[in-house]
Amino acid sequence: MSLIVVIEDNIDNSRMVAKLLRVADHKVLVAEDGETGLTTVFEHHPDLVLIDLGLPDIDGQTIIALIRQQPELANIPIIAFTAFPPDTAQAMATAYGCHGVITKPIDTRAFVGQIEGFIAKPIS
Amino acid sequence: MSNPRQPTARLKFIDAGNQLVPTSGYTYAELAEIYNQARVDYIVPMPMNSKRMQEYVVHYDISLNGSVVAINEDSLPCGVGMLGLREGRSWITRLGVIPDRRKHHMGQAIMESLIESAQNHRAKTIQLEVIVGNDPARNLFEKLGFITARELLVIRRPPNTLTPNLAYDSIAPIPIAHGDIRTVLASRTDTPSWIEENQSLLNAGNLHGLRVATDDGAWGWIVFQRSPFQLTHFVLNYSDDWVARALLYYVHKEYPLQDTKIENVDVHDSLWQIYQQIGYLEIFRRTEMILDLK
Repeated sequence: MSLIVVIEDNIDNSRMVAKLLRVADHKVLVAEDGETGLTTVFEHHPDLVLIDLGLPDIDGQTIIALIRQQPELANIPIIAFTAFPPDTAQAMATAYGCHGVITKPIDTRAFVGQIEGFIAKPIS
Repeated sequence: MSNPRQPTARLKFIDAGNQLVPTSGYTYAELAEIYNQARVDYIVPMPMNSKRMQEYVVHYDISLNGSVVAINEDSLPCGVGMLGLREGRSWITRLGVIPDRRKHHMGQAIMESLIESAQNHRAKTIQLEVIVGNDPARNLFEKLGFITARELLVIRRPPNTLTPNLAYDSIAPIPIAHGDIRTVLASRTDTPSWIEENQSLLNAGNLHGLRVATDDGAWGWIVFQRSPFQLTHFVLNYSDDWVARALLYYVHKEYPLQDTKIENVDVHDSLWQIYQQIGYLEIFRRTEMILDLK
């Protein structure tokens, strides 16, 4: 079981991904905005962060940068969760130090495997 | 092409039992909620909370009386459109219709209402930006008479350490005093989009500036906004490209931990190449369009 923080303002999306991850026996904490997400990550030091890039208060990219600046969180897997076109999403994810990208809408059959693959992946 | 002075869709929309009401009757939280729902399926959703919506209204001189919320026959809010007003000019922004309530040409009805409001406020032009790839919106704007002005870039630079540059380090930039920033901005020579105009920057506040002048006559200045988490609203004026690079180098050297987002860089501006050399990435493009009301 891993602890996963989902930072996503769209409730339909966060409910769906949280349900899929919980069914796979992971513990999930959901934050609906960047500030709450940042506090949750700082408090709980999760095994993975799944973050929407378009958040209502602070941009997802800025949140990622703030997480990465904490030495103890510098290497945790962060996955960008976005509806940006794949090329743009990948370029941004790489530039901001994400481990990967999952584009919306998700493939519900593959989603948990994708997340678990990122958790297992060695830090690059 | 429709004549924007003949609000056919707006009249049909109202005849069908719908309403267009001023946004001034709504709280910022309600407006943010309507806007977020309307943009949920957009290419770049950019949701807002109440605070961001309020800042947006203040920074960009949005007229809450000139902006509208569309209400359907069930009295449900189903779309929004906002109008900025500045000295004979206007700007349409935050336009959107909630996906499962899109009917009766609601987007066009909102647009026609905003155009009429701009005319009532004696605006001679209306400008707007549409994200490249949003063809339905662009087609609507063209139908209403808007013409393309230019293509604009939204770019970002993640925080990271710059490679030291001894040549740039040898030139000491001088901070621009807060009281001088308005005067410095008044001397800019670029053609900014609405959100990058001097009035937007001065409304937003938290502005900082640096200037350089060398013995051989090169000069330049940069003004930017620094918020707790982000640098934004960059304005540069410079004699030579290397001066612009040096100014950006200094800003990012001074604030190495801050994320940077810059909106609406003209794709043909040589500054875009300079930004790329300093580590900026293109995120998406907008098309700026203008409607002449004269």
